[in-house]
Amino acid sequence: MKVTYNWLKELTDINVPAEELASKLTSAGMEVEEIIYQNEHLHDVVVGKILKIEKHPQADRLVVCQVDIGKEIVQIITAATNVFEGAVVPVSLPGADLVNGVKIQKAKMRGVESCGMFCSGQELGIDENYFEGAGVDGILILPNDMKIGTPIDQALMLNDIIFDIGITPNRADCMSVVGIAREVCALYGIKLKKINLNYDIDIYSKETVRDFVNVDVETQNCYRYMAAAITNLKIERSPLWLRARLNAVGIKPINNMVDITNYVLIEMGQPLHAFDGEHIGGKQIVVRQAKFGEKITALNHNTYDLDESVMVIADENKPMVIAGVIGGMDSCINNETSTCVLEGAVFDLKSIRVTSRKFGVRTDSSARYEKGVNIANAEVGIARALHLVSSLKCGKVVRGIIDIATKKNESRKVIGSIDKINEILGVEIPTKDMVSILNNLGIETTLQGRNLICNVPPFREDIENDNDLAEEIIRLYGYDVYDKIDYKLFKNAYITEGCPHPRLNLERAFRNMLVMKGFYENISYTLVSQDMTNKLLLNDERTNLVKLANPISEDISCLRSSLAHSLFQNVSYNLSVGNKNLKLFECGRTFISKSSNELPIENNYLGMVACDENFDFFYLKGIIELLLNKTSATYELVRSSEPYLHPGIAADIIIDKVKVGSFGKIHPLVAENYDIPHNVFYGEINTGILAQLPEKKFHVQNISKFPIVERDLAIVVDEEIKVGDLISSIKSSCGKLYYDVKLFDIYRNANIGENKKSLAFNIKLSDMEKTLTDEEVSQIVNKILKSLTYKYGATLR
Amino acid sequence: MIKEELININQEAEKEIESSNDLKTLNEIRIKIFGKSGSITILSKGMRDLSNDDRPIIGALINEVRSNLENKLKQKEEFFKNQELLNKLENEKVDITEPSKDCEIGALHPIARVIDKLTDICVELGFSVVEGPEVETDYYNFEAMNIPKNHPSRDMQDTFFISENILLRSQTSAVQAREMEVRKPPFKIICPGKTYRNENDSTHSPIFHQLEGLVVDEKISMADLKAMLTIIMKKLFGEDTTIRFRPSFFPFTEPSIEVDVSCPNCHGRGCSTCKGTGMLELLGAGIVNPKVLEISGIDSKKYSGFAFGFGLDRTAMILNDINNIRYFYKNDVRFLKQMK
Repeated sequence: MKVTYNWLKELTDINVPAEELASKLTSAGMEVEEIIYQNEHLHDVVVGKILKIEKHPQADRLVVCQVDIGKEIVQIITAATNVFEGAVVPVSLPGADLVNGVKIQKAKMRGVESCGMFCSGQELGIDENYFEGAGVDGILILPNDMKIGTPIDQALMLNDIIFDIGITPNRADCMSVVGIAREVCALYGIKLKKINLNYDIDIYSKETVRDFVNVDVETQNCYRYMAAAITNLKIERSPLWLRARLNAVGIKPINNMVDITNYVLIEMGQPLHAFDGEHIGGKQIVVRQAKFGEKITALNHNTYDLDESVMVIADENKPMVIAGVIGGMDSCINNETSTCVLEGAVFDLKSIRVTSRKFGVRTDSSARYEKGVNIANAEVGIARALHLVSSLKCGKVVRGIIDIATKKNESRKVIGSIDKINEILGVEIPTKDMVSILNNLGIETTLQGRNLICNVPPFREDIENDNDLAEEIIRLYGYDVYDKIDYKLFKNAYITEGCPHPRLNLERAFRNMLVMKGFYENISYTLVSQDMTNKLLLNDERTNLVKLANPISEDISCLRSSLAHSLFQNVSYNLSVGNKNLKLFECGRTFISKSSNELPIENNYLGMVACDENFDFFYLKGIIELLLNKTSATYELVRSSEPYLHPGIAADIIIDKVKVGSFGKIHPLVAENYDIPHNVFYGEINTGILAQLPEKKFHVQNISKFPIVERDLAIVVDEEIKVGDLISSIKSSCGKLYYDVKLFDIYRNANIGENKKSLAFNIKLSDMEKTLTDEEVSQIVNKILKSLTYKYGATLR
Repeated sequence: MIKEELININQEAEKEIESSNDLKTLNEIRIKIFGKSGSITILSKGMRDLSNDDRPIIGALINEVRSNLENKLKQKEEFFKNQELLNKLENEKVDITEPSKDCEIGALHPIARVIDKLTDICVELGFSVVEGPEVETDYYNFEAMNIPKNHPSRDMQDTFFISENILLRSQTSAVQAREMEVRKPPFKIICPGKTYRNENDSTHSPIFHQLEGLVVDEKISMADLKAMLTIIMKKLFGEDTTIRFRPSFFPFTEPSIEVDVSCPNCHGRGCSTCKGTGMLELLGAGIVNPKVLEISGIDSKKYSGFAFGFGLDRTAMILNDINNIRYFYKNDVRFLKQMK
C-alpha cells in the first residue's frame, strides 16, 4: 500500500522527518518497505522561458537558445524541433541528475557553450496521462502561466514523499490513507482531522436519484449497495493536485470522474464504480449472481464467461460489472458521458476472492474487497466522492441516495481484562497507557475496575478478545520493553521431558556412519517429473504418484515414489559438472498415492548410491550390514526383483517376511535412462520400519580360558554352489567348538576346471574346557570336508 | 707391580673404548681385555701366584677394573646401538606431505546439520521432537490454524494443492493441531521438516525446511517466549547473541511477532550477511491464538502457549556463509565438500 506524506499531512497534524515516521510505523507493525522521494531526480531543473532562438553557426541541426530561468539568462543548445521563441519549458541546469541517468554539465557543442538542456516529459518521469504535452516526442511545452524560475518538482507537483507499506491481512482497514493516518495518530497521540464529506445538491432540479436508477439486490453476497446520481457531468482532465496524488501512488489519471473514484478508493479504502447513466438498461441495477452462459467484456478488453459463482452488477438485460472486481466496457464512463450513477457497495469478501482467483484478475478494488470493507465505509466513500464532484464542479449531484443494506453496522463492545493482558504480555503495562493507546487507535476505552470497556469501531473487525487487545497495546507501547528482560525469566512448562524422535535418531546414526564411509549427504527436491516411473522401470504401486493440481512446471509436478530417482539424478548432475568417485546418500520421504482425496502413504527411506571405481556389490553389502547391525534386526537376503536393479546382482532385505530395503547394481537400461555409467550401485532401507524395532540388546557369553586355534581350508566347488550354504555347513560341522569362519579368497582359473571356483576359508575353533590338540582339530576339519564333499561335491584343493 | 699394570691396563682400555668408532672395534677391544688371552684374563690367571695377603687386595682391584671396563664397554655399545637405531629410523622416514590413504570421509548436508543441532538444543530444554505428514489436509494446514477457506490470510502462502482438501503443507505449523489433539499440557514440542510453497525464484525455493516450536502450559507469556528463544539462539549462534521483537501478523498467534537475531557474523555491527543492519530476521512467533487452542480441544481459559517457527535454509546459510539458496538442492559435491 502506497501513501504519500502530503496526503497523510492533510488528514493529520504530523510533521516529523519522513525517516522517523517510517521507522515508527515499522516498529508498530506497519512495515515501511520503501521511502520514495518523488523529486530525487528533479533537482536543478527549473521552469524557463525561451527568449530567442538562433541557428548554430557550425551545425545545421542545432539551435542556440537564450533562456530566462528567473535569476539569469542562460544559453542552451538544443536539437529539439518543437521549441519556439516564447515557449515555457523545463530546463535542467548543470548538476541535474535525471531519472534516465543523464547528468547535466556545462559543455561546448561545436564550439558554442551550452549551459543545460531542455527536458521531455519522459526525462522528468511523467507521461501524457499525468501532464499534457509530456507524451510528445520532443520537449515538454509547459503552460504559459507557469512562474519562470520555479523548481520543476514544485511546478509539476512532483515533490511528495511516498511510503510503501506492507499491510498484514488482519488490517484491511489500513488499505487506505485514512487507515494509515489513524495509525499515525495513535503513534503520536494526535487526532485525526475531520474529512470533508459535504457536498451541494442540485436543489433547483425536481429529479431524485430514483429518476435515474432503481436498485434490486438479489444476492446474499452483497451486504450494502448505495447509488447516487450526477447530472450535467463534464468529463475532463482532473486538476493537477488530484492527478499528482494518484500518480504518486501508482494510479494512472484518466478523467475527473474516474480519478475521483480512484482517489476515494485510495483515501478511504472504499471501491466505487461510476456508470454511464445512459447505458444502464431500463435504468435498473440488479445485484445478482450471474447466469451460466452470460458473458462480459471487461475494461481490460478480455471477455469472461460467467456462471452462478460470480456476482455481477447487471442492468435489466445483462451484466455490466463483475461485482467488486472489474467493470465492463459497455457501461463505463467516456468523454461524452453526461449522467453518471455512482456505486458504493460492500460485498462478501469470500465471494470477491473466489471470483478474482477464478478469472485471475486482481484490481485495486478486488484487493480491498477480498480483505474486507466494512459496512459503514460505503457511506463515507460515496459522500467523499460527491464532495469532490461538487467542489471540483464536475457535475450536479442529484437529490437522494439509494441505500440497500442487508447487514447492520454497529460498534461492538469488547471487555478486556487488565490482568489477563498483563499475563499474556508477561510485563506490566501501566493501565493509563493501555487506555490511552486504545483511545488513540479509535477504540473508545474506559476503565471499569480491572476491566477495559472497549467500544470497537466497525473498521476494526479484527479486535475480539484479550489477546487482540494485548497486541494493540504492546505494538504501540513498544516491543523494546522485552529488550531489558532477563532471559532467565522463563518459569513455566520447564518440567517437561524432552524426547528425541526415534526414527530421526536412528537416521542420525546411519548418516554419521555413511559420512565416515566417505558418503555425502544429499537433500533433493521431493517434487519430481512424472517420467520418474518410466525411468526407473517401476511396475508396482510406486507408479501411483501424488500429482499436484497446480504445479509450477512439469519437472516438479509429482511427489517422488522412490529415492532412487533423486539419487540417480544427483549422480548424473555431479558427473556432468566433473565430479567423480561419487558416494551419495539421502534420508527422505517417498509418497504413494491412494486417491487424490486422501492422504498418501508416506515412507521414510535412507537411500545411498555409489559411482566409484573401487565399489562393487559386496562393498555395498558391507555397508548395508554395517547399518543393519546398528539395529536389532535379524534379516535375510533374497534375490531382488527391484525393476531398477540388475536382476542378478541385487538383493532384497527381508525382516519377518517384510521387505525393508534392497541393494545392488543398477539395471543397465535404468543407467541409460539417467545417462549414468553401468557400474552404479544403489541401496535403500526403510528407516521407518527399522526405527520400530526394539533397541539392540546384548547377551554376553562366557569366553574360554583356552586359546583359539585356527586352520585354513581350501576347496574347489562348482560355480553355482553358494558360499552362504558352505559357511552354514562348516558352522554346523564344528558344533560347539565353532568360533568363527571367514572366506578369505576366491580363485577361478582354467587349471581348476570349467565352471569351478576355489574357496579358501579360515576356520577358528575354541573349546571351553581345554586347549584343542592338533589331532582334535584335524578330526573336525576332516568332518567339515566330508560334509562339504557329500553335500556340495567339494574337493580339497 | 700388578697394581701399576692394572691401572695402566685400565687407562689404556678406557682410552681405546672412548676412541672406538663402531661395534666391531668395540668387540675387538673386549677380546683384547676379556678374551682368552686378554690382558685382564691373564692377570686373573696370575692371581694364584700371589701371596695370601696380596690376593684379596689385588682380586678386589681386578674386579674393580673389570666392572669399570665392562661398564664402559656396555655404555659405548649402547651408544652405538642407539646410533644405529637412529640411522635406521632416519632411513625409514616418509614424506609426510604425501596424501592420506583410504580414509576419505564425506559430509552431512548443511540443512540436516542445522536440524541435528537444533533438535539437540531443544531436547535438552525439554522439547519432544515430533513429525507430521508432508502431504496434509486443508484442515490441519489451514483451518485448525485459524485460516478459514477463502480467508485473506491464505494469500500469505502460495500453496500446492493435490485436490480441494489435500495439499503439500505450507508450514510446519500444520503439526501443531495434530499434537494438541493428542497431548495434555504442559508440553513442549518441536517439529522439523520440509515445507512447500508455490514459488520459485532466485531467493525462494518451492521446497524448504522449517522448524516449528510449541509450548503449552498455564500462564505462558511473551516474556517466556523471549526467554526461551534467547536461550535457543544463544545455543545456536553463540553466547553473545541477543534477540529483538517486532510486531507482525500470523493468524495462529496473537500477539504475533517477528524475531530478529543479532548477526552472528558481525555481532551486530553490520555486515553483508545482515545487509548492514546488525540483525537478522529469522523467526516468526507469538502467543498461540486462543481460537487455535480451542479448535484443538485445549481450554484457552486455563492454558496458553507460545509458538515459533523458523526457516532452516536461511539458518544454514548464515551458519555456513552460504550465499546462494540454489546450492542446497543441487547436491553438488563441490558444495557439500566444503562442510566436512
